[in-house]
Amino acid sequence: TEWNVSVWGKRRAFTEHVERLAELVSEKTNGEFTLNISYGGLSKNKENLDGISIGAFEMAQFCAGYHRDKNPTITVLELPFLGVNTLAEEVAVSHAVYAHPAVQADLARWNAKLLMTSPMPQYNIVGTGEPRDELAEFKDMRVRATGGIGKAFSSVGAVPTSVTATEAYNAMESGVVDTVAFAQHAHLAFGTINRAEWWTANLNPGTVNCPVVVNTDAYDMLSDSEREALDSSVGEAIDHYLANYGALLSKWDDVLVEKGVTKVEISESELAEFRKVAADPIREAWIADMTAQGIPAQELYDLVMDTLADQRK
Amino acid sequence: MASSAAVLEDGSLLSRLDGQLLRLEQLLALVSGLAVFSLMVLAVVSVGGRNTVNAPLPGYVDWIEQVMPLIAFMGISYVQRDGGHIRMDILIGSLRGRALWLFELISVLIILLLMMALVYGSWSHFDRSFDFAAPLWSRDSSIDISLPIWPAKLLVPVAFSVLCLRLVLQAWGYGRAMILGLKHPVAVPLIQSAAAQAAAEAEQLSEAGNGAQKD
Amino acid sequence: MEPIDIGLWVTGFMLVMVVAGMRVAFAAASAGLIGLIWIFWAKFGYAPDKFTKALTVSIKVAGQVPHSKVSSQALSLIPTFILIGYLAYYAGLTKALFEAAKRWIAWLPGGLAVSTVFATAGFAAVSGASVATSAVFARIAIPEMLAIGYNKQFAAGVVAAAGTLASLIPPSAILVIYAIIVEQDVGKLLLAGFIPGAFSAIVYVTLIVGIAVFFKNVGPPVTGFTWRQRFEALPAALPIIFVVVIIICFVYNPFGDEAWGTPTEGGALGAFVVFCMAIYNGMKWEQLKSALLETAKLTVMIFTIIWGVLIYVRFLGFADLPGAFSDWITSLEMSPMLILVCILLAYAVLGMFMDAIGMLLLTLPVVYPAVMALNGGESVAAADSAFGMSGTMCAIWFGILVVKMAEFCLITPPIGLNCFVVAGVRDDLTVQDVFRGVMPFFIADGVTIALLVAFPSIVLYLPSLAG
Ligand code: NA
Ligand code: NA
Repeated sequence: TEWNVSVWGKRRAFTEHVERLAELVSEKTNGEFTLNISYGGLSKNKENLDGISIGAFEMAQFCAGYHRDKNPTITVLELPFLGVNTLAEEVAVSHAVYAHPAVQADLARWNAKLLMTSPMPQYNIVGTGEPRDELAEFKDMRVRATGGIGKAFSSVGAVPTSVTATEAYNAMESGVVDTVAFAQHAHLAFGTINRAEWWTANLNPGTVNCPVVVNTDAYDMLSDSEREALDSSVGEAIDHYLANYGALLSKWDDVLVEKGVTKVEISESELAEFRKVAADPIREAWIADMTAQGIPAQELYDLVMDTLADQRK
Repeated sequence: MASSAAVLEDGSLLSRLDGQLLRLEQLLALVSGLAVFSLMVLAVVSVGGRNTVNAPLPGYVDWIEQVMPLIAFMGISYVQRDGGHIRMDILIGSLRGRALWLFELISVLIILLLMMALVYGSWSHFDRSFDFAAPLWSRDSSIDISLPIWPAKLLVPVAFSVLCLRLVLQAWGYGRAMILGLKHPVAVPLIQSAAAQAAAEAEQLSEAGNGAQKD
Repeated sequence: MEPIDIGLWVTGFMLVMVVAGMRVAFAAASAGLIGLIWIFWAKFGYAPDKFTKALTVSIKVAGQVPHSKVSSQALSLIPTFILIGYLAYYAGLTKALFEAAKRWIAWLPGGLAVSTVFATAGFAAVSGASVATSAVFARIAIPEMLAIGYNKQFAAGVVAAAGTLASLIPPSAILVIYAIIVEQDVGKLLLAGFIPGAFSAIVYVTLIVGIAVFFKNVGPPVTGFTWRQRFEALPAALPIIFVVVIIICFVYNPFGDEAWGTPTEGGALGAFVVFCMAIYNGMKWEQLKSALLETAKLTVMIFTIIWGVLIYVRFLGFADLPGAFSDWITSLEMSPMLILVCILLAYAVLGMFMDAIGMLLLTLPVVYPAVMALNGGESVAAADSAFGMSGTMCAIWFGILVVKMAEFCLITPPIGLNCFVVAGVRDDLTVQDVFRGVMPFFIADGVTIALLVAFPSIVLYLPSLAG
């Protein structure tokens, strides 16, 4: 069996688990079952779910935040200030949510079965000018942040500004935005770190959730040994991802020093205040909105919180 | 080599249908042009808002992405009507009479087949983003401010369907010309020599250039 | 059959259709659709009962491409640049620019021809399309040159050649298209075109002055403008400079370290300034309407090729032809520079018969990855690379080279479109006249391209400043 896998961009930390999965599966089946990974050749990133639904390829990666309405249930994981602190916690909550029947039904509309997550660190912001470490200083700050994180910033008076990721550097350079929210690898990839004067180390405003899914029909057509090879490799692929991303994160502090970027720590009282004005109302609105669509929103949110608590025991 | 060309008219049914369809096509092309104009307006609003009251247009990028299909697709049939889609006419330009019409007929039929397939394909793309049960009927939304995307996706099969109508008329026109052995058939774009065509193009441009000058 | 073989067959089939005279956009899209059907059916083992499934999947995959690829913010620069060009005609900016150039620099040997090159370069800074630029200046500049006794062929050659500047000097629709295909930063590419464009203009001017000095009767200088007259000609031409400054400053601000905004905003605001000028100069709704219709027509034409070709490119992705081609190129036992020169020569041959945009769209998806691989990959560092530049810089450099080649082809026989346009405008000129007149510029362009290949820093200086 040969599967086509649609991811995008270049090979990077964000795709290492898929690469590792391909190696493992091929090894375990003696080359009987191979994954052909294509970086952008098969689909645009925002249309990977469409491709899965059509049956154009068998496996794909996407981010829930690219298209809320395609995958409303997963957006629970993108609520601002969920309090997820590590990649391991991100994996735990994601996989708990993926296992929920409502989420699986949501993805079943695309003929998709959730395989694993691509844990992303928190979208902490880099900024130009004086470091902003108090809530009041976020007022009138122009920030490049999409979706829920953008909403969170606007609830404290910041101005979310619409700029594509590729124009983020230009936008920062030209003062179109003062700050940009990305994961660390994206701050490096899009060059925003080169314009930055400070980075928030503990703001942790939220992140995006990017699952890897497989086409249900293709999955069902695998032989038992192939399916076993695939399923049993997920854990190891994720471990590889965490180790690899961990290495990147441990270099992050050196990068900050090298580029002369100040590490901003925000006090616990300011953070609590931020969560109160931003996180609570956005979460309540999300729950009301999703419940109206027949999604067990409260249950999903509780599941995230319980898993997080379990994880920390 | 753009081969923009002249389309002849007479009182025949075919020519009248051509005229009717042309009016629709011009309207759609104008929508396309106005959409380009709106890009300018969006930028002025966003940059102006940012620099005066620190309020850039929310979802500026999302809006641009919504406008682009209007610009790119609405005029597609209008351009086909005049034979404006680019092609290499060295070979086809050397053909005359029935051979030429046969060739054009085949070419139009292939395009018609392609476009009918794409009407279906783009409709299914729209259909995946549309859900009567969902709020705003939306099952696909934009990244920043969650605009529903189905209206923009719907434009594609609509514009392509109009193009299919145009291709049917052109197939009729070329088929008729081939059977009757016509020299100057109506309702189809006629190839001009490269030079005559260049003259027409330049004519149009310099008219435009002189149009509003006060001298 | 292996996917790569399918890729080669379908590519051959597409080229046959294109040469036979099928409209490029639809030839590419049909080839792409047929290729997809073939690939999927092959995947299902050519089982007769699976053909319908292969057909449906392929049509759905192809049907995604138009909306998916076109709804991009970066592509919005193309209609904006085209609109600027059309509005500039209505605002009467073209004539004003030529008049100012004439009063200031026509005293040089070959003065009017030199003025034409400078005015064209200025107009190029608001126009994105070469052919339109040549057409306009054929009307404005040739009569004046003939009136003072210029050689007819020479005058025609100047205008045909100068028109090609429009696609290098930003804004340039063709550079935006290149940026989209190869997924590079549009702003940096536009910026990169500036010096090579100006450089080409200077090479042209040097050539003209040389010819005028050497052959006394070719192009006499024009003298006698007073300083008062010179300054009087400026205000009408100033808006062009204003628009140029806006666009440049939104991409990269040479006067300080902060640009004013993003390239997308710059293009759209430039259009707005020209629009205001046109209104001020008395443009009415009827004229605005035809400007919008013309913009729509040209835009739709370009976008149709874009999505048509991208359906074919989607098929290539499934066939993995680009990967195979770059493996082949990098396995050749030739020096990378020699291979690059061969690729450029192949473009020169292809460009004799093909339209510039169609040519780039059809070839780049396969050629570009190969060139990048030749240099050592997308993320190679300058020190480890074959051409001595990083992956990003190589993408920019190759883009400028390819666009310059495409422009070069607009003045080469037998299908130099610019030459046809100039001959078409003037009843007293044949195409042969124009081709003869353009010959020296043809050689000048060859020299320019050689210099751009030999000294990449001409191209890369500005983009490297922009970080
Ligand atoms: Na230009
Ligand atoms: Na040529």
